[in-house]
Amino acid sequence: MNHSTLRRLALKSAFVFACAAFTVSLPTFAADEVLRVSAIPDEAPTELQRKFAPLGKYLEAQTGMKVVFTPVSDYATVVESLATKKIDLAWLGGFTFVQAKIRTNGTAIPIAQREEDSKFTSKFITADPSIKTLNDLKGKTFAFGAPSSTSGSLMPRFFLQQAGLNPEADFKRVAFSGAHDATVAFVAAGKADAGVLNASVWDKLVETKKVDTDKVHVFATTPPYFDYNWTVRGDLDPALVKKLTDAFLKLDPANPEHKEILALQRAAKFIPTKKENYDGIEKAAHAAGLLK
Amino acid sequence: MSLTPVSDADPAARRRLIGALATLAILWPLFQAAEVKPGALFDTGNLKVIGNFLAGFLPPETGSEFLGYLAKAILETLAIATAGMTLAFVIALPLAYLASGAAREKPTLNPFTRSLLTILRGIPELVWALIFVRVFGLGPAAGVLALGLTYGGMLAKVYAEILESVDAAPANALRHSGASRSLAILYGLIPQAAKELTSYSIYRWECAIRASVVMGFVGAGGLGQLMDQAMKMLNGGEAASILLAFMLLVFAADGISGWLRRALDTQPAPKPSPFGARSVFVASTLLFAIGASFGLLDISFAALFTAEAAHSISEFIAGFFPPDLSADWLGKVAQGIWETLAISIVGTLLAALAGLLLALPKWRPPFNFLLNSLRSVPELVWATITALAVGLGPFAGALALALHTSGVLGRLYAEALANAPATPGRALQLSGASGGLAFLYGTLPGAAPQLIAYTLYRWEMNIRMAAILGFVGAGGLGQLLYFELSLFHHAQASTVIIAMLLLSIAVDQSSAWLRQRMR
Repeated sequence: MNHSTLRRLALKSAFVFACAAFTVSLPTFAADEVLRVSAIPDEAPTELQRKFAPLGKYLEAQTGMKVVFTPVSDYATVVESLATKKIDLAWLGGFTFVQAKIRTNGTAIPIAQREEDSKFTSKFITADPSIKTLNDLKGKTFAFGAPSSTSGSLMPRFFLQQAGLNPEADFKRVAFSGAHDATVAFVAAGKADAGVLNASVWDKLVETKKVDTDKVHVFATTPPYFDYNWTVRGDLDPALVKKLTDAFLKLDPANPEHKEILALQRAAKFIPTKKENYDGIEKAAHAAGLLK
Repeated sequence: MSLTPVSDADPAARRRLIGALATLAILWPLFQAAEVKPGALFDTGNLKVIGNFLAGFLPPETGSEFLGYLAKAILETLAIATAGMTLAFVIALPLAYLASGAAREKPTLNPFTRSLLTILRGIPELVWALIFVRVFGLGPAAGVLALGLTYGGMLAKVYAEILESVDAAPANALRHSGASRSLAILYGLIPQAAKELTSYSIYRWECAIRASVVMGFVGAGGLGQLMDQAMKMLNGGEAASILLAFMLLVFAADGISGWLRRALDTQPAPKPSPFGARSVFVASTLLFAIGASFGLLDISFAALFTAEAAHSISEFIAGFFPPDLSADWLGKVAQGIWETLAISIVGTLLAALAGLLLALPKWRPPFNFLLNSLRSVPELVWATITALAVGLGPFAGALALALHTSGVLGRLYAEALANAPATPGRALQLSGASGGLAFLYGTLPGAAPQLIAYTLYRWEMNIRMAAILGFVGAGGLGQLLYFELSLFHHAQASTVIIAMLLLSIAVDQSSAWLRQRMR
């Protein structure tokens, strides 16, 4: 065997690897002119991007900053990114807001919510005709959305417990589909016997005929609770926070351009919100054992 | 077969019967835990569901917007694999140097580095990715780091062992004449080990491509993230396109890696300088690929080394200590361990059976295509499909493992059977035994040790995979981890990660012990 060739080949590759690893330029981040936005992936990320596009343009015009939307596939990532200042503005659910509040030591500020979010509900769905009440769920497989979803996990769990049902003990198997539209796909395909999702996404899927309502139907609805909001990290420039808050509150359904934005966000209009609105969610999370 | 001890009965009958009964007694509870229900596979309702889903695969999605996403995801996957391997290499070099007993005066193993390597390798890359996604936020940085750490651990271990396995005489001679240890390794050991080292590194790059796809399932970017979405939404057309792209990628990586390894085997032409056009081509391609990968991924490593990042990372890690060791939680984790173990064992056994059946025919279409397709679809994707077929739960996980692994084992078995001594089988056939009997009593016993070794080796891989199949609803430790991490219950998550680590170490040990016993 020709040792010297092999040695040279090995040394060459080692050298090349080492050089490349160390000489690659390290790009720097210009955080000042960019508003970094993300959203909990309660729907498919591509859908979120589509929904955000006109709102992003509007926010660019209102703040004079470049708006960058980063889709993610995991709820907790959004919370963690807000806490580690990797994003500035986030669309959060009620429970993810509570998590963000805790992880930022209470500094995260909710700035606006949709009018609908003050009386939000979840729908229990099934394709199995024998399931008529929550009690019929015993011994069935059941799909929640993401574990840290408010309307797809926390509040339904809380109301199930109030109805005397413990998902882990009473259901045959509990699954987490990850997103509301995925829950519908799970139930429609028979992957789970029943599931629960947010009323707003359910209505949208019914309106756009993405779900066959002859097959999949709603058999129970939760009492209303506070949900989604737009939250900024606490150390953002107060002037910018004001600009963003005003931008959301100024959206007017009478203005055709605004109307498109509001329709995509499934909002009649945006209203101010405050941390205290989500205290009920925090209590429910403790009661349901999702917050320790 | 008669069990009464008459003169022409099998003299080992009693031992074999006891062995069979003991195996059944051990396997029965495992099959129970894995909720094996073959009936569910043929349930008409389930068949219709899976039929509809698979029918949705055609035609594959070819919309220009989607193809744009797909192209970007492929590039990202390649870049994550290449950048991850580069990082792994940088991590592995010093660790292998520290861990290896090669060219030491007294060949002691460094226990501290060895255990660090065990931890790096023992925690699945998917779990690292899941954690890094939280620490470093959005984008592929998490995938690169996860690959870098796990593969750094693997490379370091194998490099260290390769260096120990080559002839130590040249290095010893150098050391005795006063050379430092690093020079003795560089000039005494690396020339002998270079081919093996390079070949293993290339093989790992190929594995990294597969792994980087899987990591997308936890949000680390690339093809996996796209696949996860399509599978969750049961969007067959998109899933088919992504799967096709993925298979092409894996076959291409297979091809390139095979070509490079063959190139290492060929003797270079005798000429003054071994630096030919090909070396220049390979080196510059490598350099370009690495540069382009880091460029594309746009990872701001500088941001990782700020005081603020250090603070948030240490805070994040501190949250994992102390692990939750309350009796209540340990009980849940123990149940998860049992389920995970059952998934891995049942999956591997089913795969061994199916693999053996698939290995019997000659290596030609359609069997080689079937085997290649089975193994090129990742377990997490199989799990999505099997969950439709048999419902969510551990059986879906076991089936998913079995499908992927039977592709891998089938190919290995076929090679082992082809290499087994042919004489005993031929002798039996010549003395009148049928082809089947000649195979069972002539060929199979010769190949059996190798078949068993391959199976046990795959079991070691499968226990790691079984631990994470829960991410897509197959139960076990994975689902516990996903749930607790989502809720920031880090103390609980920490217990699960420790359990995964201990489980994979325990399986490695018992597999090594079994292989020893089988010799």
